[in-house]
Amino acid sequence: MAAAAPGAAPLPTHGSAFLSVDGLKKYFGGVKALDGVSFSLEQGEVHALVGENGAGKSTLIKILSGAFPYDSGDILLDGSVYNPASPHEAKQHGVQVVHQEFNLLDHLSIAENISIEKLPRTRLGLLDRKELNRRAVKALKAIGLDDIDVRAPISSLGIAHKQLVEIARALQSKSRILILDEPTATLTKRETERLFEIVEAIKADGVTVVFVSHHLDEVFRICDRVTVFRNGKTIATDLIAQTSPEGVVQRMVGRRLEAEIKEEHQDVHQQDVALRLDDLRTAANPKDRGVTFDLHYGEIVGIAGLVGAGRTEILRGIFGMDPVQSGRIFRDGQEIRFSGPRDAIASSLGFVTEDRKGEGLVLDMPIAANTSMANMDAVSKLGLLQFPAENRQAREAGARLKLKYGKTSDPVSSLSGGNQQKVVLAKWLVRNPRVLLLDEPTRGVDVGAKAEIYAILKGLAREGVALLVVSSEMPELMTLSDRILVLADHEIQGELKRPDFSEENILNLAYGRANAAGGQAQ
Amino acid sequence: MTTQTLSESGRSTPQLSLRTVLHNAGIGLALLALIVFFSVFTEHFLTPNNITNILTQITINLVLAVGMTFVILVGGIDLSVGSVMAFAAVVAGKAITLPGFGPAEAIALAVVAATMTGVLCGVFNGVISAYWALPSFIITLGMLNIARGAALQVSDAQTIYSFPLAFEEFGSAMIYGVPVVFLVALLLVFVAWFILNFTVFGRILYGIGNNEEAVRLAGHSVFRYKVAAFTICGFTAGIAAIVYMARLNISSPIAGIGFELNAIAAVIIGGTSLSGGRGSVIGTLLGAVIIGVLANGLILIGLSDFMRQMITGVVIVFAVILDHYRAKYAAK
Repeated sequence: MAAAAPGAAPLPTHGSAFLSVDGLKKYFGGVKALDGVSFSLEQGEVHALVGENGAGKSTLIKILSGAFPYDSGDILLDGSVYNPASPHEAKQHGVQVVHQEFNLLDHLSIAENISIEKLPRTRLGLLDRKELNRRAVKALKAIGLDDIDVRAPISSLGIAHKQLVEIARALQSKSRILILDEPTATLTKRETERLFEIVEAIKADGVTVVFVSHHLDEVFRICDRVTVFRNGKTIATDLIAQTSPEGVVQRMVGRRLEAEIKEEHQDVHQQDVALRLDDLRTAANPKDRGVTFDLHYGEIVGIAGLVGAGRTEILRGIFGMDPVQSGRIFRDGQEIRFSGPRDAIASSLGFVTEDRKGEGLVLDMPIAANTSMANMDAVSKLGLLQFPAENRQAREAGARLKLKYGKTSDPVSSLSGGNQQKVVLAKWLVRNPRVLLLDEPTRGVDVGAKAEIYAILKGLAREGVALLVVSSEMPELMTLSDRILVLADHEIQGELKRPDFSEENILNLAYGRANAAGGQAQ
Repeated sequence: MTTQTLSESGRSTPQLSLRTVLHNAGIGLALLALIVFFSVFTEHFLTPNNITNILTQITINLVLAVGMTFVILVGGIDLSVGSVMAFAAVVAGKAITLPGFGPAEAIALAVVAATMTGVLCGVFNGVISAYWALPSFIITLGMLNIARGAALQVSDAQTIYSFPLAFEEFGSAMIYGVPVVFLVALLLVFVAWFILNFTVFGRILYGIGNNEEAVRLAGHSVFRYKVAAFTICGFTAGIAAIVYMARLNISSPIAGIGFELNAIAAVIIGGTSLSGGRGSVIGTLLGAVIIGVLANGLILIGLSDFMRQMITGVVIVFAVILDHYRAKYAAK
């Protein structure tokens, strides 16, 4: 379907726009977060913003809500320039955001939370509890909640109700635009239905709702128009009535890169199973079904999925970092249970974590010390550090990974992002792991270093190491993997073999549209 | 490759300690300036007697501060060392005055009793705060009260005295005007320096202070290392108790009130970061000396004890501000 032709100038509308964004750009240092965003909002519509992680949706929301300024472009609200200096100013213009992480004060009452921005006072200047509670009851009633004791603390509410309280709070002052950032991510089906009813009611009152979601079925259920983001740009705005989920996915993907992936790929004959997960369910998984798959020596298996699909949790569960709720892990055919990273390491596992500053590296420490962090026995005798051995190890690992550095005694913080990531890899490679888990292995790494890291990982696979890679970058997964498992809602939606690799197939599975992936599912 | 090998033929610590030396040099210069200032403006500051005095006065604080350095390096704090010292002193005082032992045996018994008491308190602090991931600030505040109460209970709130003569002699012995007890403290500094810089144990402690999660992911038991740090701190509180007893020839259950604050001050002035991971025990030595020199010099110059206390406080605040900027630069 895919209505408007690419680059179509007049955006499809069904009313008159009161907020228009044109050519909006935002840079963080040298990084382009927004690179030309244009769209408009009309009175009383529900407008969806969709796009891959990092496509620019959050940045736009933050600009609209006054969290940070923009660098160039125009935002017009009712015909005059809109550039809020603070969230407070944005609210005065009637722009309200309900964030993914709530801004609620857990130990205060529901009523206090709802009025926190402007608490009512009595003539003596004391807190007017009567008025406080009256306002809260009114605000909650406005969104159809009348069965809640507003004097109860927020912490007594479930996550769905917390969200509704946030919405009630946002709506009580005269809102014109209500932005809901991933509102359904943590809701059950019934709670989602409830939310949709409320959205319909808000809309009927003439409030414009901006709906950010990863779930296309929800977008098609309640939205009037959809704007697609890709790489910091808006690709198009479509009327929901005139497009289809397939059309939206195509816009999100574009037609790029597909050719260059299907390069050399020799069919490796299947080796032994290094790691088998049998219905593994981590504590973070709310479903009653876990994941099941095999990882063979010498192969690279990719795990794709949207943020929140439970990708990282699987790796953390395997490595013993998070408790495993149920299910079994087999290592070389033996059932095992790691009680912590220590056990996993002893079983020749390694884990290159996503957050190298938070989990991977000790930034202030030298390269040599970071390289030996998981391999202390090899560089010490009777608890005494053997500095020559440690330096030799770091130099050898550095040479193997083409690490660019001054001296092994330089702190890791002096290195570039790509080279820091290589040190994280080095930390595990010096142990010669048999199974390597990697979470976003090239995040924040420049293109050159990326290619080098890919070469290293492929080299490891050739040497017989089993690699399990989680990544949000689909080209990365398609370059590295022998097969890709696509995860949504903590369940494997399907497995793609190399000939079937395409961003479209991955996205269709990731958005839970298994049948659209052309029969490759399961 | 050759050049690289040449430039790296040494240990990997030089760079680390070069940085440490550099910022210790700052502290060293501050100390030097203080010494010059007091030498010029007072008559008696730079006399052998006065120097002996200062060294004697800083010994207990230095011993406590060495242990405190370990705890602060892993990102903790130990508020209980003053009370634990008193408790250990009382237990050791009971032991040393037990009838039926010769002087040597009695002293040995006292040393064991004091250090074991300190170690047990340290283990308690470490296990409770590390196992439940509770703030050590609160746990050791609890221990501050527990140990003080225990000291009063065990001693029946009485000061214990009449120790063997040899013990007393050890407390006041000098070698070329340097108190032997100060040499004991210096030995502790040396051992701590060695542990922190040349052992896997020390390396991991620094790692924990910097990034606990990374250390845990690398397969190390963060719990054990934290408990060990608190245990070392308790141990040095036990040593401090022995020094205190030998110096004053008494064990008082109300000794050491507020000592924890001086020990923390020495560590912080010495450039160890309160958030952990950065600092050195050499800095702690200099920090303790600065506090001692300030205390002594300001009195010689004729300032009241109250003024001295205010100035020491200002120095602590200044040291923390300095640390803030050091952390900022380190982050760049």
